Amino acid sequence: MIEVEALTKRYGSTTAVDGLTFTARPGTVTGFLGPNGAGKSTTMRVVVGLERPTSGTARVAGRAYADLPAPLHAVGVMLDARSVHPGRTAWKHLLSMAQTHRIGRARVHEVIAQTGLEPVAHRRAGTFSLGMGQRLGIAGALLGDPATLVLDEPVNGLDPDGVLWVRRLVRDLAAEGRTVLLSSHLMHELALCADRVVIIGRGRLLADAPVQEVVARSERAGTVRVRTTDDEALVRELLAVGAQVTPQEGGTLHVRGTSVDEVGTAARRCGVTVLELAAETGSLEEAYLQLTGDAVEYRTAGAAGGAR
Amino acid sequence: MTTLAHGHRSPRRAPAAGTAARTGPTLVGVTRAEWTKLTSVRSHLWLLLGTVVAAAATASALGLFVRPDDGRSGSWVVTSGSVLAQIGMLVLGALVGTSEHTTGTARTTFATVPRRLPVLVGQGVVTAAAACTTALLALGASVVATTGARAGDAPALDLAVPGTLRALAGFVLASAGVALLGLGLGALLRRPADAIVGALVLAVVGDHLLATAPGVVTDTVRAFLPSSGARLLQDDAAIAALDAATRGPRLGVWGGGLVLAGWVVVVLAAAAYRLRRHDVR
Repeated sequence: MIEVEALTKRYGSTTAVDGLTFTARPGTVTGFLGPNGAGKSTTMRVVVGLERPTSGTARVAGRAYADLPAPLHAVGVMLDARSVHPGRTAWKHLLSMAQTHRIGRARVHEVIAQTGLEPVAHRRAGTFSLGMGQRLGIAGALLGDPATLVLDEPVNGLDPDGVLWVRRLVRDLAAEGRTVLLSSHLMHELALCADRVVIIGRGRLLADAPVQEVVARSERAGTVRVRTTDDEALVRELLAVGAQVTPQEGGTLHVRGTSVDEVGTAARRCGVTVLELAAETGSLEEAYLQLTGDAVEYRTAGAAGGAR
Repeated sequence: MTTLAHGHRSPRRAPAAGTAARTGPTLVGVTRAEWTKLTSVRSHLWLLLGTVVAAAATASALGLFVRPDDGRSGSWVVTSGSVLAQIGMLVLGALVGTSEHTTGTARTTFATVPRRLPVLVGQGVVTAAAACTTALLALGASVVATTGARAGDAPALDLAVPGTLRALAGFVLASAGVALLGLGLGALLRRPADAIVGALVLAVVGDHLLATAPGVVTDTVRAFLPSSGARLLQDDAAIAALDAATRGPRLGVWGGGLVLAGWVVVVLAAAAYRLRRHDVR
């Protein structure tokens, strides 16, 4: 369980995180989404005690991170693939982490096997590809068999195999009842493996809801796409029943305020031949762009002195 | 393990192999981890090996030029490579202190040990241990390397000469002190160039610059620079000569060592303060 409450972090005059509140719950993969510089990494660094909040709190398993009796066993952390000395081998890096908590060598071998690092375990981390670095970061996060995982961009730089592996891994970890907080700029990726998304922009919370709910909010959701032999007749018919119609490129129409069934019935009433008829589904990507776009607009209006 | 109460999908299984007891970070564990970190970076080992070789080579070369009427003792000949040895030590300390921050390892280290100070203590212990080991090796190598010089005109290493044993032990102590000074500056400044240049000025160069203009002020400043720690390497006769020549305070036999120790304590305390109070990036 990760509880972030009214968290604010300022660097001089720059506000990186601005009154952020959200909770990542056990048994759930919580996706953490936002454009570059939105404050995702800063929030994660505050959660794991590397940075002190200017105000507000971040708690893990009910405590401030620094007060955890055995941090490695409570929280698995992967912040950046470049959190390793380039001159140190993967094995020595993980061994040194394990030694702090008196975790045995057997467990180190286990996470190396689990993350597929065996062939490169005795190579220096500086020679690793981005993908291998990510696997090493994940191995370190799994080392203490923690109940909570904080993973910053874990699929970044992984090949398709690796992406699939991470997706399955986080699903499994959540299924075991663990809390997983996972940031990504790949919205598609989050849509596939997160249960819930927390979207931030400029350090502020824009949305905190189940993935499906956020997707449903996107503009395209609830829109019906239709293509016929006689658009004019159908448009007249649809406007008569109170739907809104927007012509699209390629001869299709987008109809809002109605349903696929009603559009089909309307087409039959006015005798046009339907060539294509489908409900558009929203995407997390769209919902996200809409939300972050609004945030930028709002800020611009505020800067110009206009209150909205 | 709050997830036990909240875990609603499936029960959590037994702790993973190797994690019999879920203990938190201990000072012993953190120190072992720091030892693993120090010895697993090849450049650290090359640096220490280079330090041994440089110290012995210097002693060997300088020993050839010592004549019986120079007033040099046997211990001076053996420890004459100390300047290069100390540079090696302070670079090692500075690297241990700064590499955490320059490589990003700090994020892993301090997320693993969020109380942070045990890490600095562990680094201090392993840096001092590595410095002492290296100094002993350098000392042994220097004794061997100056055999030829002693066969010539250089004075023998005679433990009966007052202060000789102390001078040899002082080489080890001063090495550890300088390494810790490098560590403290490294952890405090977090940038290797700043730490190494700072440590060099304080522990080596500053003293030599000020020595060009002897006077009450410069001699006093020199006495209170960490370079005073080099007095630990002098036998009784050399200490007496230094005290007779200075226009500043006379530090006696142990004063120089105390000055170095004072610097180490102050700089490490400042590093500890920064580590506790400031963010880790």
